[in-house]
Amino acid sequence: MKFKLEYLFFFIITFIAITGCERDDICIDEITPNLVIRFYDFEDQTETKSISQLSVKIIGIENDSLFFSGTDSIFVPLKVTSNNTQFVFTVNSNDAALLNRDALTVNYSAEAVFVGRSCGYKSIFNNTTYDLTDDGNMWIQKIEMITEQIENETTAHVKIFH
Amino acid sequence: MLKYFINTAFLLCCIVSLSQENNLQPNDTIIKNKYGLRVGIDLFNPVSTFFNDDRKGLELVGDYRVSKKFYVAAELGYMDNTTDEDYINFTTNGSYIKAGFDYNAYSNWLDMENAIYIGMRYGFSTFSQTLNSFTINNNPFLDDLAVAESGQKFENLNAHWVEFVLGIKAELFNNLFLGFSFSGKKMITTKEPDNFKNLFVPGFNRVFLNNSGFGFNYTLSYLIPLYKKEK
Repeated sequence: MKFKLEYLFFFIITFIAITGCERDDICIDEITPNLVIRFYDFEDQTETKSISQLSVKIIGIENDSLFFSGTDSIFVPLKVTSNNTQFVFTVNSNDAALLNRDALTVNYSAEAVFVGRSCGYKSIFNNTTYDLTDDGNMWIQKIEMITEQIENETTAHVKIFH
Repeated sequence: MLKYFINTAFLLCCIVSLSQENNLQPNDTIIKNKYGLRVGIDLFNPVSTFFNDDRKGLELVGDYRVSKKFYVAAELGYMDNTTDEDYINFTTNGSYIKAGFDYNAYSNWLDMENAIYIGMRYGFSTFSQTLNSFTINNNPFLDDLAVAESGQKFENLNAHWVEFVLGIKAELFNNLFLGFSFSGKKMITTKEPDNFKNLFVPGFNRVFLNNSGFGFNYTLSYLIPLYKKEK
């Protein structure tokens, strides 16, 4: 019987090793998705068109603006503690003569979804709507919603034509 | 020819053993093992409660000897545990029962009753989870990681699991035993709450990602001897 017991010790030590090494307290899962905006050419609406020197200011957030250039898709965060997020998109932001500010409000209802031990909860956004503020001098020509529900960042959620 | 030789050897063996039995003196001491019900209490939880206010529990343990090596064993317990993670804080509250057997792999000298044992348990627990507070994990740029107080309670949850137990028991004084055991656990099925998860289960402790867990026990138990048997 003695040698069998040694096998069992080995089995249990292995079991501890397998369970003990596992790390599940660092958050590596997907958390609240960002809003994914894809920029398209207003003239030829099937073609994407990169933006240049775009700065994005989120109203009510102390942090500096987010800055994008030479890309046709951007990721911007949405507030989870509110049912809307107001953005100011400034194109050509480095050139005082050319810069143009447009304001966009995204409305939604945020829903808390459990992720796991390490990440806690994330939000998904339902019933999304977009409001452009017309200031008479728009660089954004048109906005088109792709999906009403923002669940992940795999595809764009809204198209902006310029 | 060889066959006959071996058969003869076997025959001789029998004769030797027979003759040995015949040599047994009537006044030789016959070792008798104590059979009975052993009941006790887990010391790990009361001690950890003393140092850690987030964990309160009580566990009663018992086993009944059915043969020289085998014991039917069970544990009955209650636990109230608060888990604090980076983005969630929740309290688990419930009771559990574990039943199974222990196999004593230790050969005792004379009439000693010590044990190095292995065992298996089937565990069942009914409990509730209270989500005390949680944080919605958002893009750190927004800096809006506000902790939301919830207090949402998920009731009527349950869990079934199996355990492999490895332990020792030593007889300190007559019929009083001190034991230590380690258990590795694997969840079979759980009734999960909506939009939350059973990350802690009474009797199972922390539920790891692959639905496994482990536990330690220190027990102090008393054997109520019922009868004695030669084997």
